[in-house]
Amino acid sequence: MRAGAVFLREARLAFAGGGGPAAPAAFFIASLTLAPLAIGQSPATLQAAGPGVICFAALLAVLQGAEKLFGEDVADGTLEAYGLSGLPMSVIAVAKVLGSAIATLWPLPLVGLGGGIAFGLPVEAAGLLALALAAAIPGLAFLVAIAAALSAGARRGGLVIALIAAPLAIPLMVFTASAGRAAAIGDAAAGANLLLTCAVSLFLTALSPFAISAALKARLE
Amino acid sequence: MKSQRMTWPAFDPIPLSVTDVTLERGGFRLISGLSLNVEPGEALVLLGRNGVGKTTFLRALSGVLRPASGHIFYGDRTAIKAAPSVCAFLGHDNALKPDESPRQSLQFWSALSGLEAAVPAAMEQMGLKALADRPARRLSQGQKRRSALARMQVQNRPVWLLDEPAAPLDSDGRDRLSAAVTSHRNRGGLVIAATHQALDWPGARVQELTR
Repeated sequence: MRAGAVFLREARLAFAGGGGPAAPAAFFIASLTLAPLAIGQSPATLQAAGPGVICFAALLAVLQGAEKLFGEDVADGTLEAYGLSGLPMSVIAVAKVLGSAIATLWPLPLVGLGGGIAFGLPVEAAGLLALALAAAIPGLAFLVAIAAALSAGARRGGLVIALIAAPLAIPLMVFTASAGRAAAIGDAAAGANLLLTCAVSLFLTALSPFAISAALKARLE
Repeated sequence: MKSQRMTWPAFDPIPLSVTDVTLERGGFRLISGLSLNVEPGEALVLLGRNGVGKTTFLRALSGVLRPASGHIFYGDRTAIKAAPSVCAFLGHDNALKPDESPRQSLQFWSALSGLEAAVPAAMEQMGLKALADRPARRLSQGQKRRSALARMQVQNRPVWLLDEPAAPLDSDGRDRLSAAVTSHRNRGGLVIAATHQALDWPGARVQELTR
């Protein structure tokens, strides 16, 4: 399976050069540790802010590795060779994003679970928030990959990534955080928000490969 | 250890024909009205000064750049359609990852599009045996180039597009490049190389590119 070769290579390179899941996990934990110092220590405030802070910090953790995703392939000539591999660029995009996301982002829901409990959410609510995060992460990874593909090879790529990814991330931020907040107060909307998170994440996962492919082909010309 | 004998399969004959091609880059006309033909088994060396459009022409041959006018055909298919199945491209950059060894790189590219069985023979031909497991960040420029040339071999495509292939190579590396080009041509492959310095490939046609 030729796409499998791209997937495995991406996962292997994430560990060889980037320390695998260490960087996003450390980024996530650091944000969650610092947030209460900025928000204030009142348990009620922390519990109310927790789900939102956790979702937002997860987005930042996904964003921090984005510049490398396609930037390196553009810089070292790999993208040109991919273009002549005979495999559609959208398939290569899926394999690359999944390979790097699965290798680097898997601890985020676990960290989110711990973070939810630390912010004072009931255990079931923290669990549901972690589930919503797990559902959101494929969508986050793909929307960040769109931004990364559009900015690949550009100077100040990081700035472009932030500007493009921010509006795309709105629905996932809203639904994931709402799922956690609703669960914390025992509101029945938690399940609905979780399903909406799944829907948006699936939508992004299904359509992003074509956007990424178009952006990479434009970069090749 | 017994040295591996590899019989490389012959290619289907695919000629390249370029008819009256004009190329533009960022609003500048680089090449106008260029026509040429390369038959299976032939090597064409495009000589020209820096900035004359050699790389742009190779990119058009690899199908990523659409000519402003004129046609590029591989057999009866346009370059844009045919290139992803017939071309292998060696650009200025070697498409190596700093943390990947030549062996890992060759295994990957051959699994993606090529002949996995050819990896040991390609490493042998390019003199990479002793370097096979060294990460690319610890290879010299010439060693990286040899690794990239070995990638061209395992990709097993009839058309080689080489941009300054010999630039960082020492005399041993140039001999290996020349031998690889010869064996590629013997299989019925085409080689088109752009360079600003002469390449002493036996039987290669040389064409000067000028403004």
